[in-house]
Order: sequence, then structure tokens, then C-alpha cells
Amino acid sequence: MRDILKRKSVIMLICIFFAGFLGPMLISGHPSDVTGAPFARPLWWNAKLPLSSEYVVGNSGVEINWEKLPPEIFALNGRITADPEKEVRIIWSTPVGEKTLDTLTGSDLYWINMDGRDMIFKQKLGLPLIGKSAEHLFPMSGRYSLRTEGAMETELSLSLSGGREGLLGTDQRGRDVLTLLIFGIRTSLIVGISATLIASLLGLGLGLATGYIGGLFDAFVMRIVDVLLSIPTLPIMMVLAGLWGKGLWQLVLILSIFSWMGTARSVRALVLTVRESPWVEGLRVLGAKRGYILRRHLVPEAAPILLANIALGVPGAILAEAGLAFLGLSDPRLISWGRMLHEAHSFGAFTEGAWWLLIPPGLGIVALCLIFMDIGRFLEEKIDPRLGSGKNA
Amino acid sequence: MKNRWFWGRLLSSIGVLAAVLVLNFILFRVMPGDAVSTIIDPNFSPEAKDRLRELYGLDKPLLEQFFLYIKQMLTFSFGLSFLSRKPVWDELLSRLPGTLFLMATSMFLSSALGIWLGIKAALNRGKLAERIVLRAGAVTASFPGFFVQLVLIMLLARTFPIFPLRGSVSIPQPVGTLSVTLDYLWHMALPVLSLTLMGFGGWALYVRNLMVKALGEDFVLMARARGLSENRVVYGHAFRTILPPILTILLMSVPGLVSGAVITESVFSLHGVGTFLLEAVSGHDYPSAGAAFYMLALITVISNLLADVVYGLVDPRVRVGGRDQ
Repeated sequence: MRDILKRKSVIMLICIFFAGFLGPMLISGHPSDVTGAPFARPLWWNAKLPLSSEYVVGNSGVEINWEKLPPEIFALNGRITADPEKEVRIIWSTPVGEKTLDTLTGSDLYWINMDGRDMIFKQKLGLPLIGKSAEHLFPMSGRYSLRTEGAMETELSLSLSGGREGLLGTDQRGRDVLTLLIFGIRTSLIVGISATLIASLLGLGLGLATGYIGGLFDAFVMRIVDVLLSIPTLPIMMVLAGLWGKGLWQLVLILSIFSWMGTARSVRALVLTVRESPWVEGLRVLGAKRGYILRRHLVPEAAPILLANIALGVPGAILAEAGLAFLGLSDPRLISWGRMLHEAHSFGAFTEGAWWLLIPPGLGIVALCLIFMDIGRFLEEKIDPRLGSGKNA
Repeated sequence: MKNRWFWGRLLSSIGVLAAVLVLNFILFRVMPGDAVSTIIDPNFSPEAKDRLRELYGLDKPLLEQFFLYIKQMLTFSFGLSFLSRKPVWDELLSRLPGTLFLMATSMFLSSALGIWLGIKAALNRGKLAERIVLRAGAVTASFPGFFVQLVLIMLLARTFPIFPLRGSVSIPQPVGTLSVTLDYLWHMALPVLSLTLMGFGGWALYVRNLMVKALGEDFVLMARARGLSENRVVYGHAFRTILPPILTILLMSVPGLVSGAVITESVFSLHGVGTFLLEAVSGHDYPSAGAAFYMLALITVISNLLADVVYGLVDPRVRVGGRDQ
């Protein structure tokens, strides 16, 4: 059993565990903080796209050498102090001409809060209302400058959010996809593992009880198993998620209610064979109570099956959670991979061609599932060496 | 078909249906949260609240409600939707064909492709066909279907716009029966293709395992010794014996198929029962959600029963009634 730590999937799982539980501590700031322009490409994607940049605009203005494609967002913030009598103008000069961004009069202090995405801003400059204003403010590569005229003191900052941001880009709200991805690990692991644990314990209890007690109780529980296995579980989980609310633990509960059947069946089958074996009969002859036999002898017998069942059940739970979250039936504040795919699907990832919103969470789900399947198969081989290729037996 | 086995299966189907009905009733009546609370404004007068309760039959004792509900479900009178205020049954009826079409075509294509590949793999052990089957079967089980579908949309509807992005019909809808049909098939191509892609691996793996075992049996040796053609041996003898277990898997795959159809409809925004259920659940439209869930369960039960009937036709042991199920 010690060679389990040498298995690649186990090593990867441990790494993912660390990333999922330590990563959020190392990342400063909240995952839902906006870090850049919406739908920004990953940093390494297209070198022609500009990176985000900030410029301090002092009294003498600022000069910018622009060689790349236009930025995504043009935003100007800060304050200007001036003589109330005089007119203050903020001028943006481009290689093809000058544009007056704003004309201010009648006050000694102006707070500037311009965003190129605002309709009023576009209207004032006579830019088309639909489309990115930054494309018109940066018509070509060359020298640009921002300056004020008639101001006494200028303390502005010009921020140009680029089309590239973060290792995996940003989503429709400008959140960093890598941060979301790391925070999503925890949800998938917590839901997958705890739902499977609860379901396995439920299955163990019911399997032991039905196998050992038998009779009407057995018949009743096995009919429930038949029914649950022959109705589609996703619709009923959707209904439950809709009725019960969508929190993390509600999801865990809903998933575990519908995944204990397999474990119960295999534990029951095991108990049925073990119950009649001579050593259990011997225990009974010695006067062992039913509870004692179950607890001290049958539970350890069932433990290996249970372990493999847990590992093989986790992918199912992770997929089911992702499915529910993808349908929008999870808490919007709960960051999960399914939720990321839901948002990508509902908020225009296709019109933007934003593949970086689909591939990372999707492959994350696939990777976790493959890892748990591999561990499960490994454990199964340990329990029953006949299943294996002979290499690990 | 007039044997005990068939009646036993029918009885068990009815049992499942009854369980679904009870479950559906309990879910919507006994669960926390009043079923009408979503359409009742807290500011309503007590009389108005009572009238609404009366309208939806919620003022009667629980047992009477239960019998009323059973009657409604069996006669398909699901009442009015909370959201659209239209009869739920009309809406469901317009969406049923889409869901059934999606399920039937994808099931047929994936099982046909899977069975064909599985037999090929069993006949060519150690060759490329077998390796493909073994890999595909293991990998597709770990892929969430909707992720594959999203990637397919990205590739085949957005980067290379061969297929439509979403929906069951073009807007505006084309005129003429032929162009309407073609338009529908064009919209269904990607959903069906993706479900087939996700489904055939498991089938192929299963059929391959059965076929390898069957080809090693003595009767195959006998058939070969008799000088029958290879086709006759493979399809007439070996494949014939693995039909019953294939049907068993078909039967067991139906619930998963329904779940798959629900997600697929949401991914492609198709006009079907699945999207109806999702809209109802997210809009707290209880009559619609209950009816949609009931409909999906009914599809499962009926297709299970159909599979049982075919099973009876295929397996002679069942047909003569000797098999104790």
C-alpha cells in the first residue's frame, strides 16, 4: 500500500490539493475583484495586443509612444485645480489630430472621472455609440500625448486597460480567470469528496443493515434502490436545487441522496456472502451480539470496497456538481468550475470567441475526474489483484 | 408475450411510476416554502391569498390534495403555469417531440457506432481499432458532456461557422416543409453529433468485451468448423447471443440519456422539455417544474418497458417464459 504515494495521479492530486487550499491564501485580493478589461486575452496569446498601463498626468502632461493595437478601455481619473474665471481644456493629441476630451469652466476644483465606455463620453466626442471608443482614440501607432490647458494644477491618472491580462485572461466582468480557477478547485474537491463520503457512509449503513437483517426491510430498501436507479437523477436534482436553495452544503446533500445506491448494493452483496461463512457462524455460537459482529467484523470486511467506491464515486459527484452549476443552479457567489462555464455560456463567451473561459475550467474538471478514476482503479486492483495487469499486484 | 415475466415487468414499471408520483407530490407540497408563496405577494389581503390557494387546490386536506394530484397527473391536466399563465400541458406537448428526437437519434447513432466499433475491435484484437475503442471508452467517461459541447460550439459554430450557435429553428423560420425540415436537422446536427461522440465509447467498450467472450465460445468454433462464412459466424451466431445483454445496457442507459438531453438542450438553447424544466425551476414555477419532471420520468419508464418488450422478443429463454426475472 505504500507505493500509492509513487502513483502519478496521487502526486498530482496532492499538488491540486495544495493549490486549492493554499493558493487562495497566497493570492492577495478577492477573486471577484476586477483586474482588467472584460474578455482580455491571456498574456502570452497575441503580442500585438497591448498590456495594461497607467500614466501619471502632471502639469506638463504626458507623452506616450504607442506601437500596438488600441487598448480596451481608456479611463481618466483625478482632479484639476484652476482659476474659476478661466476655461480648462483636456486635450488628447494623436498622430492624426487633436481631440478635446472635456472643456471645464466656473469652478476652482474639478474631479475628473472619464471612462471611454460611457455613452455620454462617446456622445461628447462624436464617436459612434456602439463599439470601442478606444479604437477611435488610438487610430494608429505613433506618438500620443495628453495635456491640460489653462489649469493651475493637474493631478490625473490615465489608465489604459490592455487586451492582455493575467496568465489565463479575464472573464466578462474583468475578473482574473486564473484566480477564479484556483478558487474553484476548493469547491470541486469539497463537493466531490464530501458528497461521496456521505453517500458511501449511507450506502455502507444501508448495505450492512439490509444484508444482515434481510426480510421486509431489505426488500423495501432494495426497491428504493431500483426506483432511484431507474429514474433520471439530473431533473430531480434540478428540482431539489431549485426548492432547497443553492448553497454549497445543500448541493452536497442533494448529490449524496442520489449516489448511495451503488455502494449499498455492493456492500449488501458482500454481507450476504460473509454472513453465511463459518467464522461468522462461529462468532454467533460464541455469543457475539449482532451489533458487535457488524461493527468489528463486517465493517472491516467492507472497508476496502468502500475505499475504492469512494475514489470511483468522486468523479460522478464532481461531474454532477459541475452540471448543476453549469445550469445556473448553484450559488452565484460560490466560485466553481461549473459556474465559470455557466457564466462563459450565458455572458457572451461565444460572441467574443473567448476560449480561455471554457478550456481551463473544463480541463480542470476532466483532470480531477481522471485522477480520481485512476486512484479508484489502483485501489480496486489492490483489493482484487485479478483485475490488475499484474504490474501492481 | 403472455407470460409471467412480461406482466412482472409491467408491474414493476407501474411501481416505479407510482414512486415517481409520490416523490413528485412530496417534493412540491411538503418541502419548505409554500408552493404559492412565489406568486403571492406578502402585501396581498388574506382573502386574495385564500382565493389563490383555492384556485390551486391548496386549501384542501393533504390526502384529498394527493388524490386530486394523482388524477391530474394521470389525465395530463397539469394546470396553469405560474409564469406564463397558460396550460402547462400545451407547452409540454410542443416541446416533447424535440426531446424525444434528440434522445432517439443520439441513442441510435451512438449505439450503432459503438456496436459496430466494438465488433470491429473484438475481431481485430491488438490492432488500431481495439486501441481506439479501449481509449475512447475510458476517456469519454471523464468528460463532462456540456464541456465537450461548448468546445464543439466554439469550434464548429463560432470559429468555423458551419452550424448555428443556438436554438431549434432559424429566425425568421424558412417556408416550405422541406426547408423547415432541413433547417431543423441543421440545428440538431451539433447536439446529436456531440451526444453521439460522448456516448459511443462506452458502448464500444462494452460490446467489445461481450464479443471477445462470445467469439471464444465453443459454438463459434462449431460454426466455423461447419464452414459457415465469417459474416454468418460473427453476426448470425456470436452477435446474436450478446443481444440480450446489449439490450440490458440500453435499458440502463435511458436515465442517463434523459439527463444528457436536459443539459444538451440548455447548452444549445433547444426547444425541449429540459429547457422547460430549467426555466420552471429557476422561475419557481412549481406546476411546470413538477409536470416537466413527471414527463421526463414517464419517458424513462416507458422506454424501459419498451426495452423489456424487445428483450422478450430477442431472448428465447424469456419468450418461452422459463426465465425467472
